[in-house]
Amino acid sequence: MAASIALARQITRVNINNTKICRLSTVCTDGAFCNASLKRYSDVAPSRSDPEPDVVESHNETLSNAQAHYRYIFPEILPNPDSTRRNKVCEMLERNDMMNRRSVLEIPEFYVGSILAVTASDKYAAGNTSRFVGICIDRGGCGLRAWFILRNVIDDQGIEIMYEMYSPMIREIQMLKLEKRLDESLLYLRDAPNEYSTFDFDMAEVPHVAGDHVPINPLKVKLRSRPWLERYERQDLKGVEDLGLAQKFYDRAKQLATPWEKYDIMKQYRATVTAEDQDEVFRDIHEKQQQIEQARIVRRRRKKLQSNR
Amino acid sequence: MTHSPNTPAPWWTKKLDTSAPEDLTSDNEAFLQDMVEEKYSVDSPLKEGPWERADWTPRSVRCGLICRKIGVIPQWLNNGKKFYTTLLQVADNHVIRYTPPEINRERRRGSRTPNFGIQVVGADSADPRLFKAEYLGLFQEAGVMPKHHLSRFFVTRDAVIQPGTQLNAMHFSVGDFVDCQARTIDHGYQGVVKKWGMKGGPASHGATKFHRKMGATGGGGNMARIWPGKKMPGHMGNEWRILKGLKIWRINTKYNVLYVHGPCVPGPHHCYVRVMDTILPLRKRKGDGPKPPFPTWFADDYKDQEIPEEIFDESLHRFTASSIEFEEEK
Repeated sequence: MAASIALARQITRVNINNTKICRLSTVCTDGAFCNASLKRYSDVAPSRSDPEPDVVESHNETLSNAQAHYRYIFPEILPNPDSTRRNKVCEMLERNDMMNRRSVLEIPEFYVGSILAVTASDKYAAGNTSRFVGICIDRGGCGLRAWFILRNVIDDQGIEIMYEMYSPMIREIQMLKLEKRLDESLLYLRDAPNEYSTFDFDMAEVPHVAGDHVPINPLKVKLRSRPWLERYERQDLKGVEDLGLAQKFYDRAKQLATPWEKYDIMKQYRATVTAEDQDEVFRDIHEKQQQIEQARIVRRRRKKLQSNR
Repeated sequence: MTHSPNTPAPWWTKKLDTSAPEDLTSDNEAFLQDMVEEKYSVDSPLKEGPWERADWTPRSVRCGLICRKIGVIPQWLNNGKKFYTTLLQVADNHVIRYTPPEINRERRRGSRTPNFGIQVVGADSADPRLFKAEYLGLFQEAGVMPKHHLSRFFVTRDAVIQPGTQLNAMHFSVGDFVDCQARTIDHGYQGVVKKWGMKGGPASHGATKFHRKMGATGGGGNMARIWPGKKMPGHMGNEWRILKGLKIWRINTKYNVLYVHGPCVPGPHHCYVRVMDTILPLRKRKGDGPKPPFPTWFADDYKDQEIPEEIFDESLHRFTASSIEFEEEK
């Protein structure tokens, strides 16, 4: 189907309450309105890991390439899209707090599927710190409430820790392996054999050059036999091998499926921050982010010189 | 169960100018805007000199502020504990009028506050063309732009503020405790389960049309009827509620924002909230501690001083500080 459809990109300008809103949309010539490649941070598909398509129209010509990547580096900087709660002053004050925290603690760019090591202050641990290594299986939250879950298996016991990204108890977030998986959330690892979630605490850091494409790990996980925590046949999971269930499960999943949702533009609109607001946010933090990155480069250079000695 | 109406009383001045919109030419439109600017941008000299300021006593009751609830964000203490704070932005407040206790007593017979004066405070300046001439007259004494929202605060005689004074977030200090009063979220017509927390009936096990109902209405016998005040379905929300004893953790002086403890300040986002010094006896200011700015914080007094943009409570973690570390106990 995809081969026979000629995709035409068009920018639609919609007047809502006298505000012009730019939406980048893909119109399939067979009449269906596909918003599969709308540029939103919640999408897995369009990202730094995919090669840029030939026809690229930036929705804002003045936004630099650096700023365009901010929605992948820190998706939590964008405010809660709920229109009843939007307030520019509140968002700006929260963003200032976030950028101040980021200037003190380096929070690396990571995706679900990356392996991180987090060192946090813990009053009840030896040395008053605790270090945990795990694969990021989920992330979410807006602003200072941003969180991520790391999973590992220690002594045959699956352990997950949810860290609040901006909590001052976190001393260090170390990126061990930057990669993505085929799914946005890896909660199915709870029903997979322990081998898929086990990561050595002493594993070596896999170097990643800044600006490179983020590799996608095409691993397909073979789940354990049922019972499972969720009905995975009803979720559109790409990173899981054939579930091997009876046909009745797939039939029921098809009955309950909502294939029309991907055509519901208003639903997507309500769940996203408009391109204009996104640009405003990224422009606001750009200067501070440049300072942070500059300081980081200096620190790294200094560290390298010291280690060479 | 209190429900005070949200509609204006018949004797209040009519507020909004609901006449048909005039089709003005762009020149006339510009001219009218110039007239408005000319009238309100210049700080006219006060008709009378500045009023005398009294000294604060523990029995004094200060004026409050009208704020807007702009959001809820988390903050952390220096021991790592997380909690939520509500951001209340002081919404362009000016004092509009003062009514002394004598007149107040006369007008409000049977009032519970006969010894208090009334301070009328306005929030959010607006284009005068939105309002009727009658409403605009309310602001002539103060000489300020007409406001979208007015509210009154009961003050003691010594806490009187001269009309026309701007009120600032610095009226409060970090570490103060305040009472926040606002109209709660309007839930509309709701059933007993949501409104009164009744349990309803079982979802299954053969329950016939009895899942979210009230059940019995009374006791029979001596009761003889349904007692007035029986909890029943009805309108829920949009009522005045006051949350007392909220600590102010942080103040942003540039944007006039108070960071007040907890996510539960009544009202929906962007609603007006009346913020006053707390009446709770264990949280009130005592005579021994620092005195508050009395009757309010005047910007002119601090013209030469540089006021920090952010003021933090000492136990609040600042995001510019390094991560929290616990020291080894010896």
